Amino acid sequence: MKKAALLALALSLALTGCSPGLTIFSNYRHLEMIELVRTVTVDSSEDGVLVGIYGTAGEEQEARMYEKSGPSIGVTMNELTLRPLGREAILSHTENMLIGEDLAKTRLDEVLDYVERFSEMRLDTGLLIVRDGTARDLVFGLAGEETPASDVVAGLDQNIARLGRGYVFSCREIAASLAQNGCALVQCVRGEEEEKLFEKRGDLNLAPAGMAVMRPDAAVGFLDDRETLGTMLLLGRFRSCNLDIPVDDAVFTVSVDKIKPDIEPVFSEDGRLLRAEIRLRAEANLVCMDGLADVRSRDVRRQAEEALSQTLRSACEAAVRRGPALGLDFLDLGGILTRRAPLAMEDMGRPWEEVFPTLPVTVEVESVLMRTYDIIDPPEIGGREEGTPWEKLTDSLRDS
Amino acid sequence: MGKTDRLTERQLTVLIFVSLLSPMIRILPTAAVMLGGRASWLSALAALPAAAALTALLRALTKNAPEGLGLADMAILGWGPAAGRAFAALCALWLSLYGGFLARSAAERLLSTVYPNGTTPVFIVTMLAVSILAAAGLTKTLARTAEVLMPILLLVIFVVLASAAPDVSGENLLPVTYRDWKDILYGAIPIFNVTAANVYFLFLRGHVTMAGPGRRRVFPWLGLLLLIAFAVTLFTLGTLGTNLSITMENAFFMVIRNIKVFGVVERVEAVVVAIWIVTDFIFLSAILMIAAEIWKTVTGAKRRSFFVWPCAALSGAAAFLIARDAFAFLKWSDFIVPAVNLTFTVALIPLALALGKLRKKY
Repeated sequence: MKKAALLALALSLALTGCSPGLTIFSNYRHLEMIELVRTVTVDSSEDGVLVGIYGTAGEEQEARMYEKSGPSIGVTMNELTLRPLGREAILSHTENMLIGEDLAKTRLDEVLDYVERFSEMRLDTGLLIVRDGTARDLVFGLAGEETPASDVVAGLDQNIARLGRGYVFSCREIAASLAQNGCALVQCVRGEEEEKLFEKRGDLNLAPAGMAVMRPDAAVGFLDDRETLGTMLLLGRFRSCNLDIPVDDAVFTVSVDKIKPDIEPVFSEDGRLLRAEIRLRAEANLVCMDGLADVRSRDVRRQAEEALSQTLRSACEAAVRRGPALGLDFLDLGGILTRRAPLAMEDMGRPWEEVFPTLPVTVEVESVLMRTYDIIDPPEIGGREEGTPWEKLTDSLRDS
Repeated sequence: MGKTDRLTERQLTVLIFVSLLSPMIRILPTAAVMLGGRASWLSALAALPAAAALTALLRALTKNAPEGLGLADMAILGWGPAAGRAFAALCALWLSLYGGFLARSAAERLLSTVYPNGTTPVFIVTMLAVSILAAAGLTKTLARTAEVLMPILLLVIFVVLASAAPDVSGENLLPVTYRDWKDILYGAIPIFNVTAANVYFLFLRGHVTMAGPGRRRVFPWLGLLLLIAFAVTLFTLGTLGTNLSITMENAFFMVIRNIKVFGVVERVEAVVVAIWIVTDFIFLSAILMIAAEIWKTVTGAKRRSFFVWPCAALSGAAAFLIARDAFAFLKWSDFIVPAVNLTFTVALIPLALALGKLRKKY
């Protein structure tokens, strides 16, 4: 009898959904009563912050947008999520958060803290800063009749690393970097006006706009496209990109694939850290060619490789220079060098913060043009050349 | 004890394993990182020799004791009726309070992870109610429950860790050099402390059939427990980094919050937590059962189930009164409870056994 009574008590506490204060199911909702949020925007406003949520309701595919301003993210988000047209907004599947530049410069930490602390949000939510405008205007501009803004942002999130123009760091990666290095990188985007070629798309196009460097409290500097490319290369976040390389009278468009940087410290005999040496080996493929150049020629290929190396080197050097200029080791050079030579770095006698601003860094890039896909010679060159295929082959072998 | 309430040594070992998963997952990696820093992902391995040594010591001390004697009986034999009973009663009192701590700790974890709108009393009362049922039943029933649930728990842990693997970065784990040996050992203290709680299960020794299948299997299970501790610490630190992990109450849960199982299913934390509640329930039930078993021995009563109720009442009172809020509770979970636990498991109980051994009582 006692056991039955206890079991009944346990089950009543565990299973009832009728009394909100006395059930473990107090935060469960019906499917038709929820809005699934995919994108969140946060901007500065006169009241404090302007928060927007964008997603879909129940099983409907139609995009929904709601916004509200308030004194803080916590208060505003609570009011916004609990009262959008009688439905409750669920933040658990939020893919990306877009932060307006003004807010990013003053209270980005509040956004990050909200994501970390609020158990409904997940730390892998991507964080983006909107340059030259507000996140709200960008999302409204992106949204078209058949192109939800969330899809456009998610598309950029997936593809940006393959453009060589950045990487959408998640809140987890940003929080970990802030905790470890005292600074972090955040991807920036901006809305670009383009001719509306079909009615059902939005008025704006979403474009990468470099990266922001943030301290624990706010964004303190912005990297341009070249610095961003260098940063991606040095952080090992680079996936691929297409670059135009001038070679004689032609321009080669090459696709550069994954590059792994090799960064190591050089010490003096008495243990002082003399410099950091960065070496990269880039492998590229010829995607297309504007003009005439003989790709079979080793000299031509060497020119292309040197031009590519120069482009990548200049990007890396630009990124390396920005760190000391901002006073922030956003490339985590200290961490990388410490992993390479932990004992020597520990014994060098000076803290990394002192060494970092004046540490010489050399960058060497070796590029190799690997292949030209199916077409070796442009049709014009193939057509003009004389001789049999056998003669062409022997010429080519002699050349190389 | 009734002749029907017998279990094999393997069953007891599995009960210990499932029970100790609860505190192990709760404290890791934060407790280890607080003491060991970045190198603490190696601490679980460093805890292995100490945990094995303590287990071997206890086995040696109880090797010749007759079957059917629990730790309380051995304390009474070794220390004499009065002192032995007093010592056993002290252990029971502590275990009841410890049960309260476990219930509150499980409730706090549920609130901070998946039920932010809930209240601790609901979880505490539910857990205690269910645990009373289990603790008042047969020892072998609880052990068999642990045996049945263990493969599911292992599967969940494996799937969670495998899904979290892509986010693990070597940058967050390295460098670790020989100079970090002290940090690794410091980090091993809380891990060893959890494994040392297996000492409490000696109070149930009287129910164990010593000869039979599963004899001496305690070491592989201990190894598996520490392997899981190692993996949890490695994956959490590898995903979040040392400095971020140390700021979180449930860093491993943060990792789970982000995982996608096979890249398809996400937000699985509620399911995972639901599984973990099982380990909390098993451990709390076992602790209440042990406390009641001690009182039964101390008073010479025939039935154990009567004592489960006052023990659970004391646990409930402790759970409600231990701390006003989560901040005050942290002080208990970070310092006071681990210290008292270590005192009992590493000092008082082995000493009690050693005394009986020296006096050649068993």
